[in-house]
Amino acid sequence: MKEEILRGLTDSVVSGDVEKCVQYAKRALEAGIDAYEAIMEGCARGMSLVSEKYEKGEMYVPEILCSAEAMYAAMDVLKPHLKTERVGTPRKVVLGVVRGDIHDIGKNLVKLMMEAAGFQVIDLGRDVPNERFVEAVLKEGADICGMSALMTTSMIFMPEIIRELKQKAPATITMVGGGPLSQELAKAYGADGYAKDAAAAIRVAKELLSRRGGM
Amino acid sequence: MSADRMKPGERLVAVLMGQKPDRVPVSPFILGYAAKIVGLPIGDLYTDPKKSFRAQLLCAEMHGYDSSPMYGYAAVGAWEFGGKVGFPYEPGQSAPYVIKEPVESEEDVDRLEVPDPKNAGSVPIAMEIARQCYASGLPAVFQSGEVLTYAGNIMGPTRLLTWMIRKPELVHKVCKKVEEFLIACAEYFTSTFGADRCIAFAGGPIESNKLISPKQFEEFVYPYMLRIHRKILDMGVQIILEHPCADQNKNMPWYRKLREECGWRGKYVWNFGPETPLETQIAQFGEHDVIMGNVDPPSFQFRSFEEVLLLCKENIERGIKNPSGYILGPGCEMPPLAPPINVYAMIKASREYGRYG
Repeated sequence: MKEEILRGLTDSVVSGDVEKCVQYAKRALEAGIDAYEAIMEGCARGMSLVSEKYEKGEMYVPEILCSAEAMYAAMDVLKPHLKTERVGTPRKVVLGVVRGDIHDIGKNLVKLMMEAAGFQVIDLGRDVPNERFVEAVLKEGADICGMSALMTTSMIFMPEIIRELKQKAPATITMVGGGPLSQELAKAYGADGYAKDAAAAIRVAKELLSRRGGM
Repeated sequence: MSADRMKPGERLVAVLMGQKPDRVPVSPFILGYAAKIVGLPIGDLYTDPKKSFRAQLLCAEMHGYDSSPMYGYAAVGAWEFGGKVGFPYEPGQSAPYVIKEPVESEEDVDRLEVPDPKNAGSVPIAMEIARQCYASGLPAVFQSGEVLTYAGNIMGPTRLLTWMIRKPELVHKVCKKVEEFLIACAEYFTSTFGADRCIAFAGGPIESNKLISPKQFEEFVYPYMLRIHRKILDMGVQIILEHPCADQNKNMPWYRKLREECGWRGKYVWNFGPETPLETQIAQFGEHDVIMGNVDPPSFQFRSFEEVLLLCKENIERGIKNPSGYILGPGCEMPPLAPPINVYAMIKASREYGRYG
């Protein structure tokens, strides 16, 4: 029965079925399944499958957004029942679209995938001034600072933020992504990582954290 | 390096007429860059038609490239249908952006009215630039799509993309209204200048396969695009500049089908993003259409002159094989902050590697 409920959660996240997802979340609680396990083995597994399908070109953004709706609806049911000792301390990610840029679909997808993967995301939104990235990283003690840009005019702020972070928070991993960026440009900007899309962002983040002995 | 036999503009006309010019024409898809070149804020390029026209004309004259002034931007649709846009006057900004979408709820969809192009948002600005082009003997360019990009700006991209699954009938309602508007725009421009003096320009990022599937393109883009193109061609417009923005490789069969279902009428200029190989485009459209392409745009900003020259050379060597003509250009708008020497690299590459025997 436990397996059936968890698989139901996973499947309804993948299919973006909000009603079913909520039903399975309630059934999980009724069946005495630990809320954390339901989130990780049900919802997060579903989003992980979504991420894989997106990378393979089997799912696109409209479907991902619906999966996200379903996942968040289930999380709303499950979260109040989380036992704090099971959760541990999640890795913190400060995320935002750089100054002058309001294109946030990519950033929102990264946020969604990261939350589903167990990261705590501090979302600074879009058109974020350089100093806000640095302030947020210092205030939150963030493990990762992720910067997104879609414009060639706004991506030029990334090296400034990265330089500032290297001085003030040298342990923080810096990652960049967005339309005009590339691995080559990320390297030139001094970033620790580059991700071509939201699915890759999770992989790169985990890899960089594990290299630093933190994941 | 031999001297140019043709003037800028003549070269482009030759290609569009199916003739061989002296060398490959260059169309660097310049908007915000022109403002930078003449010392204006980029915002002026989108708000002041006189300054915009002059900046684009002087920029073309300074560099010696072949394309002429035009007006358009990716956030189009919101302002025209009653929302609000901001203009790029702040650091980091490069194009107009949506501040308030006219559709924020399901009820708004039915309330949404098809505006009169004569006073809809940016259309009067586009019309004024087109008037100045016309008066100078240049083509009058008007924006004719893409429908889903307009719809995304009208209702916000996240709402649009979610409703494509949850409430597709509402997305279709908005798309239908956009279709009506775009056809009205085409009528406005062609009746003002004559269809033979107009170029239709369509393009937008929301159709990209980074966001939607080819199946969704089939349902939410293709039927509208087909009807609009048929109408525009029926009006007598001969040249359509089609810019499938970003990665649209999986939509290629639909673009091909569009040409087939329109009976290959008119001359299309295809400007795909750098993700689409020139060879693929030549295979699909080469028997009839011009290929404009498609050097990676960010390279103009961060690569050296020598590197950009090499990229242009490689693009020319592949594109020049198109039997119906080729134009050298970037795969999307030229970055406004590109060093001028890298725009010159396109002209130099055309002169050195793009001569027709």
